[in-house]
Amino acid sequence: MQSLIPGYRRDLEIRRYPFYVYIFVPLAALVIQAWLPRVLGRFAYMDLPLLVTIYFALNRRSPIHGTLLGAALGMAQDGLTQGAIGIHGIANTVIGFLAASIGIRIVVENNAIRMVLNFAFTLLSSAIMVFVIRVMLGLGWQSNWIDELLRAAGNGVIGLVLFPLLDRSQIRD
Amino acid sequence: MSRYRNLIVLLAALLIQVIGLAVQVRRPVLVAANIPGGPAVHVTRDGRGVLLIRLWSASLVMPFERAIHGSSEGLNWLWNNYVDLRHTRDENKELKQTIDRLRLEQAELREDALQGQRLQDLLKFRENYAYQTIAAQVIGTSGSSQSHVIYIDKGSADGLAPDMAVITSDGIVGKVRDVFPHSAQVLVINDQTSGAGVILETTRIRGILRGNSAGQPQVINILADQRIQPGEHVLTAGGDQIFPRGLPVGVVEKVVRDAERGSFINVIVKPAANLQHLDEVLVITSLDAHLSAQQQADLTTSEELKGAEAAAEAERKKAAAEMEERLPGLKDPNAPAAATATTQMGPDGKPLPVPPTVPVAPKPLPALHPDRFSPGVAGGGAGATTGADTTDSSTDDSGAAKPIVPKAQPKSNSAGQGSARPSTAPPTSKPAAKAAPKTPQLSGRVQ
Repeated sequence: MQSLIPGYRRDLEIRRYPFYVYIFVPLAALVIQAWLPRVLGRFAYMDLPLLVTIYFALNRRSPIHGTLLGAALGMAQDGLTQGAIGIHGIANTVIGFLAASIGIRIVVENNAIRMVLNFAFTLLSSAIMVFVIRVMLGLGWQSNWIDELLRAAGNGVIGLVLFPLLDRSQIRD
Repeated sequence: MSRYRNLIVLLAALLIQVIGLAVQVRRPVLVAANIPGGPAVHVTRDGRGVLLIRLWSASLVMPFERAIHGSSEGLNWLWNNYVDLRHTRDENKELKQTIDRLRLEQAELREDALQGQRLQDLLKFRENYAYQTIAAQVIGTSGSSQSHVIYIDKGSADGLAPDMAVITSDGIVGKVRDVFPHSAQVLVINDQTSGAGVILETTRIRGILRGNSAGQPQVINILADQRIQPGEHVLTAGGDQIFPRGLPVGVVEKVVRDAERGSFINVIVKPAANLQHLDEVLVITSLDAHLSAQQQADLTTSEELKGAEAAAEAERKKAAAEMEERLPGLKDPNAPAAATATTQMGPDGKPLPVPPTVPVAPKPLPALHPDRFSPGVAGGGAGATTGADTTDSSTDDSGAAKPIVPKAQPKSNSAGQGSARPSTAPPTSKPAAKAAPKTPQLSGRVQ
């Protein structure tokens, strides 16, 4: 339990990244997310823009940053769908805010913690989208929770590979 | 204030998006399903125009999608032709042996090919879907499990427009939704917001096709029917103004009961087109038939034959009408004269009252060679009266019999004058009786 709580300054420092990383990584996530289902078909159980949102929110430890990044990426995702703009946007906004808020309180370098967080945040994102679609928009949309669970699991596994790669791009003092 | 800065930013971001949702989303309209007596269903009306953010997203992502698509083909070509050349010499030897074997098989296959060509010609003859199409390549997807959308590399610059049908040679794929200059968004039939009118081929049951949560297309709002069996083909019904009628959609995979409405079933359809791995699609740009030269010639020939048949039919009717005129016996002499009579005008300029039509007893046709026994010929018994006639006739003081005068005759003389055969009228009228005594005078004068 002690290892989950930041006890020294290094754990509380804000990670910084080059500006191009903030541009390139989200864009790459969007492109790959739109391209991979062509190859994997319905087995593309992942949500790369959400993973990028979670990563930057956890490491920047700034709720504002996480909120705005989540909103931008989510709305870009919505732009590629036929649905209303804002469904993914609201979900990613909330996830970005929560991830940044949690990143302040716990150590996020642990792979197990990252996997659990990715899994939980992905499921929460699905729940928020269902809420927006069914309750706020009143659309008769059916949800397949098995697919959502698989997507959450896929995000958890991919995060184990993606997050260490993104860690290499951070600016070190 | 700075303490709540994070929360304020969060709420502001959420509020902006909620307002955006409220602006862009229309509440679905409750409309009745196409089943008589069926329940109302939600139908979302597609908006026109493209949202700016959607255009930005597509413009941002699609160039990379296009580049990835192009570069992946180039890399495949490079790998296959230059890098992956291991064991090429051995393969070359095997290929030469294979060529020798294939030459022998080629002779056998030539006959089969000729047969196949004939069958293909027959198949082309049966083709009814001669619509104008544009081939397009699939370059991306929506990337969201909640949205079954693909992007193609043709757009408004190529003549695409919203609501055009997208098909493959196997079956329908979806419809064009948003169109950008050089790409377009296609809503696939297994999306939950899609909709297409379909009909089951054997049972002729109509329904709406849309996707379910598992990404399978299903026909909804169908009353439970035992006749629907797996394997039945599903075709487009043609009533949605998007898909032409009769295009293959898929086959019935299974029938499941609607969880919310017990008396309804959902028919899960296995799509004819492989919706998971789409590479090339056809966009139907016009529902007007685009006929080939041969089809056009066939159509012209058909029209000419149809015109000749119509002319022959008109000629036959004309000949029949002429024949009818030349055959007087075909006309009914007992037909009521009132139908052809002109209205008689009185001296005061007012029309005379028409007497009630008296049913006329059937009269025999006039004889071609009348003799004294022919009816209507004034013979030796012309002046004789029957017992019945005496009731209507009057006798003078000398006891000589007067000619029988029908009561209605003077008023309906126009009918007699207008008749085509006045000579056939029986000579029992009063004018005829009066003219009889004058005849000797005239003849005497002439003589």
